[in-house]
Amino acid sequence: MSFLINYFKGSIWTILSFAFVILLILVPLASFLSYSFFTVEGLEINRELSLSNYKEFLVGEIYINTLLRTILLALIVMFTCILLGYPVAYFLARYAGRFKYAILLMLIIPLFMSYIIKIYMMRSILGYSGLINKVLKMLNIIDKPLEFFLWNQNSVIITLVIILLPLIIIPTFTSLEKIPKNIVEASFDLGCKPFQAFKYVIFPIGFPGLVVGSIFVFILALGDFVTPQLVGGTSGFTFGKIIYSNFGLAFNWPFGAALASILLFISVLIILLTNHLTNKSKS
Amino acid sequence: MTKSENFTKYLMALLTGLIVAALYAPIVMTIFFSFYKTRKGAVKWDSFSYEPYTKLIFEKQILESLLNSLYVGGITVICSVVIGFYFANYYHTSKSKMKEVLQFIIFLPFLLPPIITGLSLLIFFREINLPRSLNTVVIGHTIFVLAIVFKIILNKLETLKPSLMESAYDLGASKFQAFWYVLLPNIKLSIIIAGLLAFTISLDETLITLFLVGNDTTWPIKLWAKMRVGFSKQVNASVTLILILTTFLVLLIATIISKSEKRMVN
Repeated sequence: MSFLINYFKGSIWTILSFAFVILLILVPLASFLSYSFFTVEGLEINRELSLSNYKEFLVGEIYINTLLRTILLALIVMFTCILLGYPVAYFLARYAGRFKYAILLMLIIPLFMSYIIKIYMMRSILGYSGLINKVLKMLNIIDKPLEFFLWNQNSVIITLVIILLPLIIIPTFTSLEKIPKNIVEASFDLGCKPFQAFKYVIFPIGFPGLVVGSIFVFILALGDFVTPQLVGGTSGFTFGKIIYSNFGLAFNWPFGAALASILLFISVLIILLTNHLTNKSKS
Repeated sequence: MTKSENFTKYLMALLTGLIVAALYAPIVMTIFFSFYKTRKGAVKWDSFSYEPYTKLIFEKQILESLLNSLYVGGITVICSVVIGFYFANYYHTSKSKMKEVLQFIIFLPFLLPPIITGLSLLIFFREINLPRSLNTVVIGHTIFVLAIVFKIILNKLETLKPSLMESAYDLGASKFQAFWYVLLPNIKLSIIIAGLLAFTISLDETLITLFLVGNDTTWPIKLWAKMRVGFSKQVNASVTLILILTTFLVLLIATIISKSEKRMVN
């Protein structure tokens, strides 16, 4: 008897814990997916299932174009982060010696520092009479303020890179750091040139970390709706911004939910692909 | 070391320096403008004053939002650590295959774009007629940081020998005693690290919060709203104070981690 009580005592907690995640994670996701099949009539939500939101997405060229533009934007941000972040992670892991954790910490701290502030300050750094233009003018490098990073796609890219860069450096560093020095030396002893050692030994071992970081950067850049709105000017109209505006002024929750479902679908696809890639590189 | 390798090394060091500078530029500027005034875009170097910090006391809105953020952060830490510990312990001890499913679900809100987590909770709360408030924000933050808390505590649990708990039971400890006197002291540090991290993330969370916040706003949302009219000196001052707090928290986490690693080695 006491065995039975104990069994159920244990399983009640299990049931409760599963109920918690199902209720607060899966049910909200399901309710938002189901909203994407509703329609809106005036201020009322019509709960008859229909595919009209998805049809609207496919018919209205603007939505597909915005989605493609946003994916391109996220890709550019991701590759810029890789290009800038990888050498830093590599430097820290291999050459920075006893300073590596101190420098790493310096790169981690900004990650936790106010997101809104970084965007706000990037505005005053990049702006028409911002810091960059002022310094360049003071040094007599330019006569007229530069405009190529003003309220456009470029300013969104720069700001997102500044915000997201630590996310790529940290995981890449952790996997590069695991490489024992003697493996690299062994590859030299076996006649590897430095570039070959990098290509066949160092890069594959650091790859999983790089992929994890890249995916975080890509997904966060893809879904961000605050940064484009605040520094992007007219080109700040990204996919995330359209979703957000459907929940605000436009008040078309079902359509916003449908667009977000598409974003969800893309994100899940990418996460699965990443999983596949990292598993493959392990074996 | 070859010459070309030396060259790339210095190049990378330079890049690292530039990136650290770029990451800190927005932060340093905020702190700077909380002390100095500008006129027509030029800095007035003789205008140093810490008045904005003392004037902050009269900014009721900012102070209220700061208190709200601390409240949300505090409750989020308690919820996420308790639930995160329970799940980590379940995952560690259970042999059921369902635990992989559980882990996958816990990681969803962390891996998906924040906008998805935010609006799925928004729709859910509307469906169950729960009005938006600071408590809905707490729920959002808790499920967002849960994955991190879960993973940190789980990593620690996996380093413990299974014989530890077994011997406690053999010596006659009850379930609670084994937890309180044996397990907890061993995983204490990981719980502190997870809690501090959860607090730091919650303090700055913006994208999920925007969907869940009611009339009482948290600090980042207040800043977001103030951005349209431009920041006052007092806002910059509040930013500086929060930056000090976050830096302190991150350094504290780092110190605890490095200490606990040293202890593991010894």
